[in-house]
Amino acid sequence: MTNETILSIEKLNISVKKNKIIKNLSLSFYKNKVTAIMGPSGCGKTTLIRSLNRMHDLDKSFKVKGNISFGNTNLLKADPILVRQQIGMVFQRPNPFPNMSIYENVLAGYILNGIKLSKEEKDNIVDINLKKVGLYDEVSDNIHRKGSHLSGGQQQRLCIARTLAMKPKVLLLDEPTSALDPKATTRIENLINELKNEVSIIMVTHNIEQASRVSDYTAFLYLGDLIEYDTTETIFTVPKDKRTEEYLSRKYG
Amino acid sequence: MKLNKTNLEKRLLKNKIFYETIKIFSYALLIPLALILFYIIKNGIAYLNLDFFIKMPAPVGETGGGALSAIIGSFLIVGLSGLIAIPLGMLIGVFLAEFKEHKINNLTRLAVETLQGIPSIIYGIVAYAWFVMPFGKFSGISASIALALMMLPMVAKATEESLKMIPYTLKEASYALGANYYTTIKKVILPSCQKGITSGVLIGISRILGETAPLLFTAFGNAFLNFNMAKPINALPLLIYNYASSPYQEWHQIAWASSLFLIIIVLGLSIISKNVIK
Repeated sequence: MTNETILSIEKLNISVKKNKIIKNLSLSFYKNKVTAIMGPSGCGKTTLIRSLNRMHDLDKSFKVKGNISFGNTNLLKADPILVRQQIGMVFQRPNPFPNMSIYENVLAGYILNGIKLSKEEKDNIVDINLKKVGLYDEVSDNIHRKGSHLSGGQQQRLCIARTLAMKPKVLLLDEPTSALDPKATTRIENLINELKNEVSIIMVTHNIEQASRVSDYTAFLYLGDLIEYDTTETIFTVPKDKRTEEYLSRKYG
Repeated sequence: MKLNKTNLEKRLLKNKIFYETIKIFSYALLIPLALILFYIIKNGIAYLNLDFFIKMPAPVGETGGGALSAIIGSFLIVGLSGLIAIPLGMLIGVFLAEFKEHKINNLTRLAVETLQGIPSIIYGIVAYAWFVMPFGKFSGISASIALALMMLPMVAKATEESLKMIPYTLKEASYALGANYYTTIKKVILPSCQKGITSGVLIGISRILGETAPLLFTAFGNAFLNFNMAKPINALPLLIYNYASSPYQEWHQIAWASSLFLIIIVLGLSIISKNVIK
């Protein structure tokens, strides 16, 4: 099985003050695949995923060394604004913009970057992306109302639509369902499955079943080290490392 | 564990006394407000007619007349104050909330809080020294600057407090879409704070609308209708001050009507600002 690499991390080191959070980590993510990053609390999985679209820039205490290649560019050296337009991110808690309508929320990336669109282009982008996340039928009547009256699951799908509207190459999901109920979670998981045809997905998850349900590849992190990285099937059936096995059998978490 | 019954009754009684005391004092607070309103409405309502809004004050000895020049002057002065204080106050509020690590942040906060506590007459004297003396004349502009300085800390504080309520995740969401700091503040954070800032602005306006002391040194008052902010200009509090202390019955009536008009605006603004927050 040959896979095209979309993002490749080489010798990544991230530290805050004296604490090393990510230790000399190298890892390649594949195009049009869902990769789950798993590991116990404090293993550095959120730090890792946030470094991929330079969210760590917001906190000056993060020191990052290494290389993250995306095509021919090193993401760590590129302009963060350009990086974030290529690599979108959805967060743990749904965070639609409360001052914008559902319609404007989907277009938020364009609005915030000052990209002018015609009315038709706007309608088109909103329709396509709301349909993609399965929100179109649910909200089409009050698309010009604020997004904050939606349910948590709907809000999270709106956030995914907002990110997809920018046509990113990579979609980062940071525990996207941890604040949602089981039904909303299932919807998001199904959505992830549908979306991987157009975008490569990297997700952090605390939920072992979720990783096994939706991901093609799984990376297991422990205290900042990459312990194991393989197809999800292999990791879940024949883990090579004892720590992976113990985590999967919930000896610690 | 055993509960002594008499003890329980005592505690319940204490509780009731406390509760009733709070209630009595809350109702007692309404009395002065009701009295003020009643007195002003009783004396002013008869003269708060169309003439009040469209006529100039009548000369001594003539009945009728209105407060046109003072109404226009008040709106011009307060309007210009708002134009100065709202954008500046918002910028200061953003600085206070966003740049906590900056070395002059604490100094700025101290300055804002001190400005809030300075008696209004001091603003008048300062504006007099800065803008009236150098130009050699009283003016509406100098009044606006004095009142803008009074309003500034209220807008800044309201902005800071509302910004603090905005969850950090909202900012992250904006950055994650490729927005820079300026657009994030302008298009996401400030619009999300709209309610809090609006209510701060309205409270600020209702506060400066009735200020008299700073105007004595700056706007000074004007017997003629004047739209020129570079000249002395009349204002409602000035009119009340001058007319209420005059010996003429007709002028007292205009002063009462002006008081009623001011109170209606201030009450209205405070009701609007409360509803805005909801």
